[in-house]
Amino acid sequence: MENAPPRMNPTNAPAPQIEVEGLTKLYGEFTAVEELSFSVRAGEVIGLVGPNGAGKTTTLRCMAGIIPPTRGAVRVCGFDLGRQPIEAKKRLAFFADEPRLFDYLTVAQHLTFTARIYGVADYEQTGRRLLEELEIADKADKLPGELSRGMKQKLAIACGLLHAPSVIYFDEPLTGLDPIGIRRMKDSILRRAREGAAILISSHLLHLLEEVCSHVLILKAGHKVVDGSLEEVRQRFSEQAGGNLEDAFFRATGESKGEGG
Amino acid sequence: MIGALLYYQYHSWWNRLATRLRRLRQPKYLFGAIVGGLYFYFYIFRGLGRGARGATPLAPGASELRQTLAALGFMVMLLLAWVLPHARAALTFSEAEVAFLFPAPVNRRTLIQFKLLKSQAAIFFSAILITLIGRGWGGGHFVMRMVGWWAGMSIFNLHLLGSSFALTMLMDRGISTWKRRTLFLGGAAAGLAGILYWTRRTLPPFSMPDQMSLTWLIEYVGRVFESGPIPYLLAPFRLVVAPYFAADWSQFLIALGPALCILLLHYLWVVRSNVAFEEASVEQSRKLADRMAAMRAGNWHAAQRPKKAARQPFALRPGGIPALGLFWKNLISTGQYVTFRLWLILIWSAFAGAMIFQTQSGHGAVGMFVVFSCAMLMIMSLISGPQLLRSDLRQDLPVADVLKMFPMPGWQVVLGEVLAPAAMLAGAQWVLIMFAAVFCPAQFGHFVVPSGARPGVALAAAVILPCVDLLAVLIPNAAVLLFPAWFQLGKESPRGFETMGQQLILMFGQVLVLLLGLIPAGIAFAIFFMTGKLLHWPLTGMLLGAVATSAILVVEAAIGIRLLGRLFEKFDLSGDLTG
Repeated sequence: MENAPPRMNPTNAPAPQIEVEGLTKLYGEFTAVEELSFSVRAGEVIGLVGPNGAGKTTTLRCMAGIIPPTRGAVRVCGFDLGRQPIEAKKRLAFFADEPRLFDYLTVAQHLTFTARIYGVADYEQTGRRLLEELEIADKADKLPGELSRGMKQKLAIACGLLHAPSVIYFDEPLTGLDPIGIRRMKDSILRRAREGAAILISSHLLHLLEEVCSHVLILKAGHKVVDGSLEEVRQRFSEQAGGNLEDAFFRATGESKGEGG
Repeated sequence: MIGALLYYQYHSWWNRLATRLRRLRQPKYLFGAIVGGLYFYFYIFRGLGRGARGATPLAPGASELRQTLAALGFMVMLLLAWVLPHARAALTFSEAEVAFLFPAPVNRRTLIQFKLLKSQAAIFFSAILITLIGRGWGGGHFVMRMVGWWAGMSIFNLHLLGSSFALTMLMDRGISTWKRRTLFLGGAAAGLAGILYWTRRTLPPFSMPDQMSLTWLIEYVGRVFESGPIPYLLAPFRLVVAPYFAADWSQFLIALGPALCILLLHYLWVVRSNVAFEEASVEQSRKLADRMAAMRAGNWHAAQRPKKAARQPFALRPGGIPALGLFWKNLISTGQYVTFRLWLILIWSAFAGAMIFQTQSGHGAVGMFVVFSCAMLMIMSLISGPQLLRSDLRQDLPVADVLKMFPMPGWQVVLGEVLAPAAMLAGAQWVLIMFAAVFCPAQFGHFVVPSGARPGVALAAAVILPCVDLLAVLIPNAAVLLFPAWFQLGKESPRGFETMGQQLILMFGQVLVLLLGLIPAGIAFAIFFMTGKLLHWPLTGMLLGAVATSAILVVEAAIGIRLLGRLFEKFDLSGDLTG
């Protein structure tokens, strides 16, 4: 059963690539996330939003297998992250807001190392293509210390995409990017989704989520307030027709928009 | 304005102290503080009473020579301050200080004064500490020696700052570092030649005594320093060090006046310099912040940010067990210093030494010295090696979230992480074994080394030691996973003597656990060796014993890796995240 293929649901629709069931995370007596359940299918992009302290980062880290949930389950492409962590992790990539790189490995060595860890046989060709696509092919022999923040982020993305993940998590993907980088990142997210990846984006930038997400999940104080398609959420929480995600967010979380609002 | 800066300094210090006292409620800090306190008591404070009354009085001649040598050392250090620097003057500020003070309406002179005041706190504590540590070095009362250290260090600190400002001004006038060094060293060489010539002319005729003694040598060196221009040259530097060497209070007070005058002149020189240091300081503060973060994370290697890419130790293929990828990565991280070329040089030196050695007669003493030194280094490598070589989980735990995402079982993560330091230790020990084997004399005193014993012992050691290394490296890695809070993780990790106490506890724990782990292997070796000896095949017994020992150690290590792997899989980063 260790390497069992992803299951299909009875209606023959593709099974969700990400399934979260009753996810709960406690830090001592503090409940960071409670009974969170949702799913994401292939080709969907879900935005995870919520005020500071809502539990977004904890949720993401539990879903990436970085920290164990106190209760509940996370399945990636049908593989339970708790019981089949290796199979699940082979299929996912997590891009943190700060690129986490090894100071002493060059750009090329990062790709070689990642290829070994994920067992990517044709990594040289894929790696070269990724570096060219991300415009850092000429930096192959550079150390992270010699790269700008944007380039470091591109390297982290190249490493994360090397094994062609089916599930991708982004934590504040636009941090530190210039306008060209932002445009390319948005295009890249949408392209991966079209290619069949299930994508989850955690961000405070609601306009970004409106542009790239098909679905949205709003968290507050560790609890799910709402999840559904972007249109459903807008319709449910906006005061008027054609309201935007920002209006929906403030109404859903019961927060005040302040003077500007 | 200085009042505000003093307010910041005072409250920062006080809050830091309060935080440290509060955290003593946690047992890990309390135990650390007790052990650290005991260490300080036994090695430093116990002799304070004796030190305060005055350490061993010095003979007048010896005191004079020491003062002269101290003045000479001080002079050399100040001269180097004019030769070595190659960057623009930069006062080191923390990142927060840069963010708050540089844009604030504070003039440059005030920033310098703040920096000097801040450095005074560090100098003062350093002076106390070094006086306590150096209580056996001789001299007067504790306070006199402490003030002596303070005056010397303060003047040195100011001189470094003043010279860096002056050198920056030279750079701004288009005098490059190399041009300045050439001019300076050329001038110093010419001056030295003149001094030597003058000294030789005025020095009393040299006559070698029948029996060379230390007293004669001290007297002669003393005479050299009293000849020619040397006393005049060293005079200002002698004034700086004089308070430390004062024999009584009256001498001390007389010596303190000139030293304080020199200090005041230096202060005026520094605060009146008008050199733009801000840009270089901003860059330096960033580097310092990076280095501090890495060091506090226990990652001394990363603190020295690599300047150039290291070669990969071997070509890593995408297939195969992922653990090898971690091994490869960690070898690269240490590759800045330990290269294949270095191993080749060491092996070549061993053989070259052996060739020369074999052609010499009467080399028993040298051989014994080499064997003894190698044995000592091997023992030290087992105790200190795992503490020094940290290219393992201790290096990577700050990025444990990255490791946790790798699709590999925990035991492979642990195996991949510990292989690099174990392999490096084994490599170093093999070189030592080789040196010991080729330099080992045929006879130790009356003991004749049996034929075949040298390669036999070397082979046995070469087989056993890598397994011991693996076990030895596993222990601190196990400690990291079992007691992560005891290790410095993240930016705000603790410092202080309680942290030193924690490290002492961990080191003793490491030695104890290693010894316990070696017991079954040691028993197996003893059984095989004694059996072989009884059967008159001691060499065979030893080699079989080595194989059995290694097998037991490998089994122990494998069990340890499996257990640590499970521990790593269950390792919860939440504590670190919320901490």
